[in-house]
Amino acid sequence: MEIKRLKFIDKSYVITLLILLIFGLVVLTSASSSISSDPYFYLKKQITSIVLGVIAIIIILRYEYVELKQYSWFLYGLAVLMLIVVLVLGEEVRGTTGWISIGPLPAIQPAEFTKILLILAFADFLERRKGELNTLAQMLPCFAYMGLPFILIMLQPDLGTALVYIAITLVMMYAAGANPKILFTLLFSAVLLTVLLFLAHVHLGLPLPLEDYQIKRLIVFLDPYNDGQGGRGPGWNTIQSLVAIGSGGLTGKGLFNGTQVQLNFLPEHHTDFIYAVIGEELGFVGAVFVIILYGILILRAVNISYNAKELYGTLMVLGITAMWLFHIFESIGMSIGLMPVTGIPLPFLSYGGSSMLTNLIAVGLILNVNIRGKKIVF
Amino acid sequence: MQTTSLLVRKRIATLFFLFTLSIFLLGGRVFWIQFVRGAELSAQAEQNRMRDEPVASKRGIIYDRNGNELAISVSADSVCAYPAEVVASQRHEEIARKLATLLDMDQEKLLTTLTKRTSFVWIKRQIKPEQAQKIREMDLPGIRLTEESHRQYPNGVFCSHVLGISGVDNTGLEGIDHYYDELVGGTKGRIVVEKDAANRPIPEATHKYISPVDGANLILTIDETIQYIAERELDKVFKERQAKAAAVIVMDPKTGEIMAMASRPTFDPNNFGKSPAANRRNFAINDAYEPGSTMKIVTAAMAMEEKVVNDQSRFFCPGYIKVGKETIGCADRKAHGSQTFAEIVENSCNVGFVQVGLDIGLEKYFRYINAFGFGKLTGVDLPGESEGILVPEKSAKQIDLATMAMGQANAVTPIQLTAAVAAVANDGKLMKPHVMKKVIDNKGNVVKENDPVTVKQVISKNTAQQLCSILEGEVVNGTGKNAYIEGYRVGGKTGTAQKVGADGRYMKSEYVASFVGFAPAVDPRLVCLVVVDAPKGYPYYGGWVAAPVFKNIMQDALHYLEVPMYKSEENDKTIEKAENVLVPDVVNLPLAEAISALNSRGLKAKVSGDGNIVWQQTPKPKTKVQKNAQVILSLSPFEKGDKDGEVTIPDLQGKSMREVAKILSDLGLHLIPEGYGLAYEQSPVAGKVVSRGSSIKVKFQPVGE
Repeated sequence: MEIKRLKFIDKSYVITLLILLIFGLVVLTSASSSISSDPYFYLKKQITSIVLGVIAIIIILRYEYVELKQYSWFLYGLAVLMLIVVLVLGEEVRGTTGWISIGPLPAIQPAEFTKILLILAFADFLERRKGELNTLAQMLPCFAYMGLPFILIMLQPDLGTALVYIAITLVMMYAAGANPKILFTLLFSAVLLTVLLFLAHVHLGLPLPLEDYQIKRLIVFLDPYNDGQGGRGPGWNTIQSLVAIGSGGLTGKGLFNGTQVQLNFLPEHHTDFIYAVIGEELGFVGAVFVIILYGILILRAVNISYNAKELYGTLMVLGITAMWLFHIFESIGMSIGLMPVTGIPLPFLSYGGSSMLTNLIAVGLILNVNIRGKKIVF
Repeated sequence: MQTTSLLVRKRIATLFFLFTLSIFLLGGRVFWIQFVRGAELSAQAEQNRMRDEPVASKRGIIYDRNGNELAISVSADSVCAYPAEVVASQRHEEIARKLATLLDMDQEKLLTTLTKRTSFVWIKRQIKPEQAQKIREMDLPGIRLTEESHRQYPNGVFCSHVLGISGVDNTGLEGIDHYYDELVGGTKGRIVVEKDAANRPIPEATHKYISPVDGANLILTIDETIQYIAERELDKVFKERQAKAAAVIVMDPKTGEIMAMASRPTFDPNNFGKSPAANRRNFAINDAYEPGSTMKIVTAAMAMEEKVVNDQSRFFCPGYIKVGKETIGCADRKAHGSQTFAEIVENSCNVGFVQVGLDIGLEKYFRYINAFGFGKLTGVDLPGESEGILVPEKSAKQIDLATMAMGQANAVTPIQLTAAVAAVANDGKLMKPHVMKKVIDNKGNVVKENDPVTVKQVISKNTAQQLCSILEGEVVNGTGKNAYIEGYRVGGKTGTAQKVGADGRYMKSEYVASFVGFAPAVDPRLVCLVVVDAPKGYPYYGGWVAAPVFKNIMQDALHYLEVPMYKSEENDKTIEKAENVLVPDVVNLPLAEAISALNSRGLKAKVSGDGNIVWQQTPKPKTKVQKNAQVILSLSPFEKGDKDGEVTIPDLQGKSMREVAKILSDLGLHLIPEGYGLAYEQSPVAGKVVSRGSSIKVKFQPVGE
């Protein structure tokens, strides 16, 4: 490992990340204290994940990230295999077959790790097609390449993660120079098609490959009280989350004092709805603080991608950035009634080992590109 | 060397812009939620976790005009439980067993209740004080006592329709209790329990107890004594005549204050569930009936005011009159011959009134009945008042006018008719009837006061006074003879109306007998209407059924109010001139002595009761009355002690406190009362001889207990 390269490391990036991690642990302690007999149960597990993640970062930094290029097809194959295995052997948790347990090891969510594998493989895939992404025919292989894992994810079905794949694919292709008109047209038609499918489902009974509750959640965020059960059905989560954040005020009710959280009105408050905990207990100050931290992480990452040595690095970093941004936008968005409830974790804050480990590996990759990039500061 | 192409750098810049935008979008939305919608969402968070249990407030006391309690609130403890605390204590089985034994409840059921996944449950409401004391001593975890109150009507079946009823949760459901519920009801207290999403209370959370604010007290215009008299007399006629319904209203014509209002059938407001719900209809205001001849007062008033009739008017009655194709007859087709206007009133001559009515004309007739307040609410402060039903003015024909003039065709409520007659008795001024006099808060401040409201001057003072005098003649010479009260000048009118059957035609065998009148005829103090619906037996005429009830009520009420008896200076043509004498004091004299004392002054004695000692006399001593007037002597059945300064204690059982006080003070004895209601025990016992100035202990208890 080239120790001297560490001096090029983006210090503001690392400090921001550290603050976010510590902040996340504090919030998690408060959020999980009411759901387990051991108030530190979740905290301990989360710290373990972070430690594992930091080890992963150290290992990743030892290698030239460019060397990963040669394993692209292996990584892609591994990702697809994992998704197939989880479909066949996975455990079903609330309608989604996303978990897999191997022996005594804790159950993992392969969909989290495959995101990184696919970003790495796709970055290489795109770099090889640099300058040849102008026509639909030239772009089709890319869609096919990412389409396979997308379909596998949809089979679980894990709509949230599937949408993340779309965000990653579009951002990476756009950055790689793909024809923006075609990308936009495709995106627009996809959205339109989805809306039409939903309308057909609701009004004509067209069958969709989604559970009823998922469909309802997707629509109900626009008017959560109109969920057929007076806000006690699919609209419940959105309502309780809005109530939590809205009642937080400027400085919040204080850690361990959020009534929505501590009295379990807010579901999944240590995982998907962790942002609502921040909003309720730490108020507007805490909520905006988190958004600023994310803003720094995202925008510094974009800066790193700009200064990457070659397109592979740029695309890899932007892919990861797109992944994070989508996670952040979706997770915070659903907490504040801006996005439908699909249940994906908030990076570095939500409880979850697979998610934390994946995101720290991603940090390792970004820092790897960072220390091996140009010294020019954006 | 630039490794990333210009295109890629441009694209990265675009992405940078887009990413920044989405981050600001999130921040902006958070701002919106927390500051614009903050208050609304905070309230919802509060509401989410607080579960409210109402605690009934103590309703205000309802007093009669003299401060006697008509409805009170009695507090009792209720047992409630916070199941989470009960379960947490691990003693739920023991608690269930103890409470089940003490409160006589099913142990299994109680255990289920106590371990329910809920934040709060009532175990038993309004338990006995000794049970509450034991629970307090046991001090069980999660079990609390809270004070609740409920209405109690100390007099039982008394003034029931006016007082109304209150529900289990102590809200006024009917009557005055309902009408003034906001004032009397107070503000409910709350037990607030913090709970979590699964409705489990939070063990550390405080159970907030917000104490209720007691309601204000009402002072009614009702006079307990007059009400009692009215109830007693109404009961008598209702039972004797097996009537379908009956009502009495006693009103002060000058103010519109209702002094008594009773309806039959009735109910006990303490146990209203035991009587059919129909018994709670207050006939006096809720139901309309065709008033019959009593309505002729109104016809007479307008005829006189409009000068359709005068002293010289003559009416010839052959026993019937033809109006268009219809023939209207007088009662029993009796021909009254040639009559003055006063005589057609005295004879209640239908033929005469049809002629008068036709002379008045439809337009004026409707103008006046509207002015007298028929066909619309009087505005009396009781719920559910009926407007009555008038013949529609637009479609009214001559035959309608003819029947309306004699009191049929229109349906009116007893309160409307009372108010209208009171207007005649009050120099033509129609007053708004009301039941509530004052509202007093717990500190004694007057919160609200109902001052007399003049609705309208319906007829002139002159007309009103002339009509009063004609109506006095009706009692002296006419169909209302049975309403005559010794010592007072009484005006009034009988009514015997045919009832409309289910088929819309008049029934042959059912009548509404009524009497409405006032006394004294000059400057009247009280107006009283008695309506008896479908009395059984003969005679069913108002003059026979209702007039005696009116007489009994008014006689006692006038005496009670100490309205001066008739004086010769105010003599009228209708009553013979007579010499004035002072009534001697004959109380406690042997009957023979009393009679001779009266005779020596030219007075007649009327004896009531058994025995040979006078214990009460009416009129009171030193009242000026005309010669040959009657003095009613009520007798005590006991021997008078032969020694001077000693008196025999009369039997006071069944008498009201006021009556008892009067009797004892007349005997020179002091009253030490205990309780309220009617006397049921006295010490020393009746018949015992004590010296004047002694104290008599009398225990009273409410009627019906």
